[in-house]
Amino acid sequence: MKKTILALTILAACGSAQAEVRINGFANLIAGKTSSDGMLYGYDDDISLSPESLFAVQLSGDVNDKLTATGQLVARGSDDYDVDFEWAYFTYAATDNVSVSAGRLRLPLFRYSASLDVGYSYHWVAAPQAVYGVPFNNVDGVRIDYSDYAGDWEYNFQLTAGTFENKGFEITPGTFADIEGKNAIVGSVEATYDWFKVRATAGTAKASLSVADIDALIGQLAMISAPLADKLAFQDDSSAFYGIGFEIDQFDWFVSAEWTSIEIEDSFNPQDVAYYVTAGIRHGKFTPSITYEKLDGNDDLKFMDEVAALPEQVRGAAAMIVGGVQQAVMEETSTVTLGLRYDFDTNVALKADISRSTDDIDDTNDTTLVRVGVNYIF
Amino acid sequence: MQKKWVSVLFGTAVLAASAISSSVMAEVVVVVHPSNEASLSEKDVQRIFLGKEKKFPDGRESIPVNQETSNGVRGEFDQNVLGRNSSQVAAYWSKLVFTGKGVPPKEVSGDGAVIDLIKENKSVIGYIDSASVTGDVKVIQLN
Repeated sequence: MKKTILALTILAACGSAQAEVRINGFANLIAGKTSSDGMLYGYDDDISLSPESLFAVQLSGDVNDKLTATGQLVARGSDDYDVDFEWAYFTYAATDNVSVSAGRLRLPLFRYSASLDVGYSYHWVAAPQAVYGVPFNNVDGVRIDYSDYAGDWEYNFQLTAGTFENKGFEITPGTFADIEGKNAIVGSVEATYDWFKVRATAGTAKASLSVADIDALIGQLAMISAPLADKLAFQDDSSAFYGIGFEIDQFDWFVSAEWTSIEIEDSFNPQDVAYYVTAGIRHGKFTPSITYEKLDGNDDLKFMDEVAALPEQVRGAAAMIVGGVQQAVMEETSTVTLGLRYDFDTNVALKADISRSTDDIDDTNDTTLVRVGVNYIF
Repeated sequence: MQKKWVSVLFGTAVLAASAISSSVMAEVVVVVHPSNEASLSEKDVQRIFLGKEKKFPDGRESIPVNQETSNGVRGEFDQNVLGRNSSQVAAYWSKLVFTGKGVPPKEVSGDGAVIDLIKENKSVIGYIDSASVTGDVKVIQLN
């Protein structure tokens, strides 16, 4: 409801803008299929268009020479192409260097966060999921941008504060989670020297993640030990996010990497460390590339000391719940992707890639994924 | 018979050579209003056309104007001044447009349209084929 009102306000602002309303759009049509029974990024061994395809229209208008209203309508295949106002915000250009945006906007966690949905803007079919596959990408709040340059260095600071929410997010096939973050604060700094770019991010939030099956188990644990259940539960817990990335782009070739860590200490969630390294060559209209990505959320079990301190008659049951819940959400995968981008036109790119994914916990999940796609912007 | 072959080959070679030289000779020059005294480096022009700078070094407003991608000068300008091909420039702008951080320069149909805009507005900066330069615009030597 609140969202609709915000969206309508933005639309009205666009409509009443003095200058013309700018209409831009982008689309990614991606088809994929895995080799065997394994699943990867929402694809299985039947050809599917829905996991990563999307269509989006952006409206923006200048309310006055300082204030701009922007709204982005997105229809995702993974959401049955239901149209949703994913972004709706005002940007106030306070000075040439400082702008303030308020509304629903992208949480700038990663190097490609802002243009994550615009497939045309990067060389991959899709940004590496090990790093980018987080279920909270948009935030309702405020972002301050500061950019300037000194000599040959350009730099940019961003500070974002707000709340995020994602209800009914499918974390694994058939399992849905409600995710919420309050008091989220994310700061990032990026510096660019001609062909070299470096970026660092840090953030925190009071986060909650609720899954029906896990909640039921934690409810049982609470009858044994309420304090331990509270520790295991992922409920209003402090989370810490860190990220660092760099890029070398010599135009004819490029290499870049990004490393991130998400930790929610007092919860069943392991510390998720993820990174990727990618490199490619630009040869005329072709950009072949290779990407290695790794997600490591496979740690020692937490809270086992607390379990050991429990009375003997309940220790076994508690250990099963505390260990079982943590093991259920652990994951460790690595993926190698060979990709090719072809610049068909200045607003159309054709792409294809093949990914080999290895599950280091359960090798029956190993699979190979082939994708082809078209990116379009207008 | 043999002689005829030689002359055909020679003719083809001359044609090819002139085609190559004409594409090389089509030199792109950056142009502004004659009253614009700004001194610009290649870096300044890059920053203006990539939306990183909205003013000339002397503090006056700058309005960059692009040519359509079907025009040869656009490709030359993107490659030689911005240092990337037109698809890469489009990818760069798509990042800014869809994050509400910028609006790409307006595109016009050709050298004549660039000159017309500069005549109308002293803030405009564009680029044209050196052969199209008229008294209505001033060529900027990139220092």
